[in-house]
Amino acid sequence: MASILTPSVDALVTELARLPGIGPRSAQRLAFHLLRMPSERPQALADAIAAVVDRITPCTQCFSFAEGDLCPVCADTRRDPTVICVVEEPSAIMSIERTHEFRGRYHVLGGALSPIDGVDPEDLRIVELDQRIERDGVTELVIATNPTMSGEATALFLADRVRDRLKVTRLASGLPVGADLEHADELTLGRAYLGRREI
Amino acid sequence: MAGTWTASRLEVSDVRSWSRLTVDLPPGGIVLSGPNGAGKTSLVEALVLACLGVSCRTSREAEAIRVGASALHVGLELTGPDGARRRDIGYAPRTGRKLSIDGELVRSLGAWRAAGSVLVFLPEELRAVKGPPAARRRHLDRLLEAAVPGYADDLVAYGSALSQRNAALRSVRAGRTGVDAVLPWEPGLASTGARIITARRDAMRSLAEPFARWLADLGGGADGIMGLEPSPTSLADVPDTDLPAALTERLEAARDREIGAAQTLAGPHRDDVFIGQQRGDGVTDLRRTGSQGEQRTAVLALLMAHRDHLGARSGLPILVLDDVLSELDPTRRGLLLDAAVGQGQCILTTVDPVAAQAAADRGARVLSVREGLLAA
Ligand SMILES: [Zn+2]
Repeated sequence: MASILTPSVDALVTELARLPGIGPRSAQRLAFHLLRMPSERPQALADAIAAVVDRITPCTQCFSFAEGDLCPVCADTRRDPTVICVVEEPSAIMSIERTHEFRGRYHVLGGALSPIDGVDPEDLRIVELDQRIERDGVTELVIATNPTMSGEATALFLADRVRDRLKVTRLASGLPVGADLEHADELTLGRAYLGRREI
Repeated sequence: MAGTWTASRLEVSDVRSWSRLTVDLPPGGIVLSGPNGAGKTSLVEALVLACLGVSCRTSREAEAIRVGASALHVGLELTGPDGARRRDIGYAPRTGRKLSIDGELVRSLGAWRAAGSVLVFLPEELRAVKGPPAARRRHLDRLLEAAVPGYADDLVAYGSALSQRNAALRSVRAGRTGVDAVLPWEPGLASTGARIITARRDAMRSLAEPFARWLADLGGGADGIMGLEPSPTSLADVPDTDLPAALTERLEAARDREIGAAQTLAGPHRDDVFIGQQRGDGVTDLRRTGSQGEQRTAVLALLMAHRDHLGARSGLPILVLDDVLSELDPTRRGLLLDAAVGQGQCILTTVDPVAAQAAADRGARVLSVREGLLAA
């Protein structure tokens, strides 16, 4: 079917439809909405997207989002380098930060173990975590992988690996099984942090 | 007794050969009588769809849609231990299932399905006796899913942990990762596995007696035996409370060998059910040495025992016996009809007018089915 839209509108709709939760219909609605706005608004959006594409790289220390070498948390000297909270993805960091309970630093694994999907320990940033533990004299590892089967197995794997060297805790339950941290509310997560249990 | 399940009105649209049909089902025995291909089994299939949300004949629901139609729909008035409900299921390949209870949309199939409301015997069910262990496990698991809360979730969790551990074993064998990668999947495997085994043992304990009784009542002879054959067999003597530890130990002890095999060689995923009979000094294994008739009687005894089991827990299910009567000699047929008709609701299909009459003699209502027509 030939398109009734111009090639550039077509391209915009196609790109928007690639976003999670956006179907072809919503993509079209969003595109038309952008076209109706005063031109500085969509320009600001385009600039913001261009800026993150340009400047955001993984933090060289924790693998969260950074502009330059270090992310804001790793660059903040008031944060305790001897306590590391391990998460699957950077999105979980935002959730935990909102609780204002955690004063240590983070480590982003880049996923969770799932051999059926080809994710073995070697595919996660575990060697890098080991190096940080040695270098920074880490005393506690707070494991905040998602409460899914994969997240639990990853937590267990990490705990077994470092248990003889330092204290390992797991975010307390109270988080629904199968949920991910991204969608947990602040209060629940705050409680989960304060009630973390040793494993 | 936890009550009884009874279907009263069944409304079928575009299921197999049926374009549109409404039938009022009486309580008690019902015989759907008519020639092959008349659509008897399709009515049964529609009933099962409206109770459980899945077809009893195919895993691809699209096959149940009438040729030329784009979607099927079944409405059912079903009375269970919690009262009467109007149930609706629509299915179209593009949009999937649309489920409602009393006109209210229900999103999850698990929340919608009337678990344990219907027990179906199709001719291929014979596999539950003479088929591979997987067929017997499936039979047992279906019963437990309906009778034990949380069992279905445990089965799914066990299956995922098993696939993950097997994939990890393959990775280790291929040298992609170390043996440590296998370990984190084992605690979940041991805890869900222990719960699955415990539930299966409980079921066996309560099924063994009714199985023996039904085998005798259906003309299969005395001293029927059934029991769990656990994998590994050494688990047979382990008390329920020690199962998690025993499974953990087994996984650890077998790890090296299982890396070589790249799979988990024993566990509840390899359980089997023994079905046999004490004869003289020996035990006959009906799974292997039974005649066709003996095996059929054993399956029916198993089914009736399942029905008793569910009856005491989630309510006596509707019993559906599709095309069973003509396979039995008159004596056994009479025994089955005596057992099935008159206790709760029972729907039988048959091509055999003599069998239909035998059911009618016991008080069953006969509905004759002819190419898209149904008559009382
Ligand atoms: Zn960082």
